[in-house]
Amino acid sequence: MENSRFSNNATAFGISLVVASIANALLVAAKEKSPKVLAFMKGLTGHHWITHCTVIVLLFVIFGWVLSRANGGKGIHVTPATLIGTIVGGVILSAIVIVGFYLIVG
Amino acid sequence: MKEILLMTHVMLGVLSILASLWVFVDALNASEVNLARIRLLSRFVPVVMTVGFLIAGYWYVNLYPADKAIILKGPWPFAHDFFMETKEHLVLMLLLLTAYLPIVASADLVLNRNARKLTLCVSALIVLTGLVMEGEGGVISMGVRMGLLAH
Repeated sequence: MENSRFSNNATAFGISLVVASIANALLVAAKEKSPKVLAFMKGLTGHHWITHCTVIVLLFVIFGWVLSRANGGKGIHVTPATLIGTIVGGVILSAIVIVGFYLIVG
Repeated sequence: MKEILLMTHVMLGVLSILASLWVFVDALNASEVNLARIRLLSRFVPVVMTVGFLIAGYWYVNLYPADKAIILKGPWPFAHDFFMETKEHLVLMLLLLTAYLPIVASADLVLNRNARKLTLCVSALIVLTGLVMEGEGGVISMGVRMGLLAH
């Protein structure tokens, strides 16, 4: 018998993946446009890229974990088509923002 | 030593691309026969990717500045200004995608059509993004070479 539902973790971390990807793109723009942000990130770990990676990876892990425990442990309900579309669209959009930023602004 | 580090991260990147491609093809033809292999490979991908990422990160922070100076003084400053700058941030998305792959691939891909579809999408995104990373790395290396040849 076919079962087409996603697991709790697949939904939660899928959403977290999209959020972290978008945050990654926005953080690129923020640190490249603001010397204060860049200096702050550099001051935290000694190198802005290390801080950037740490923030994004932690965001993915923590947000995914929180979402997986939402609704009393039942997680977030998203239709399969919506989750797949959001993940693919979110990742591609984030990549376009990063590439576009360095092409146009950088 | 630094050349060995550099080449190791490239090889690990290629390995994670090939393993993801294998997951993609196996997922397309998911059956009881290859489910265990799909799950094993989907766990292998993030391990290889993480090791490559850490090696690359060490190299980028400690050893790349010398190459960066050569690139920026040479005829191909875009090798750093565009290709390295985008690579160092796109690779994070690749890392997250590889971390997500085993979560999706742990479902019963034979019975669960949507999980199979998502596994195909995620593994395909890993392959495509990985290939972009390899290409950008090639341009960056060429930028160093062009800088050295110019002086």
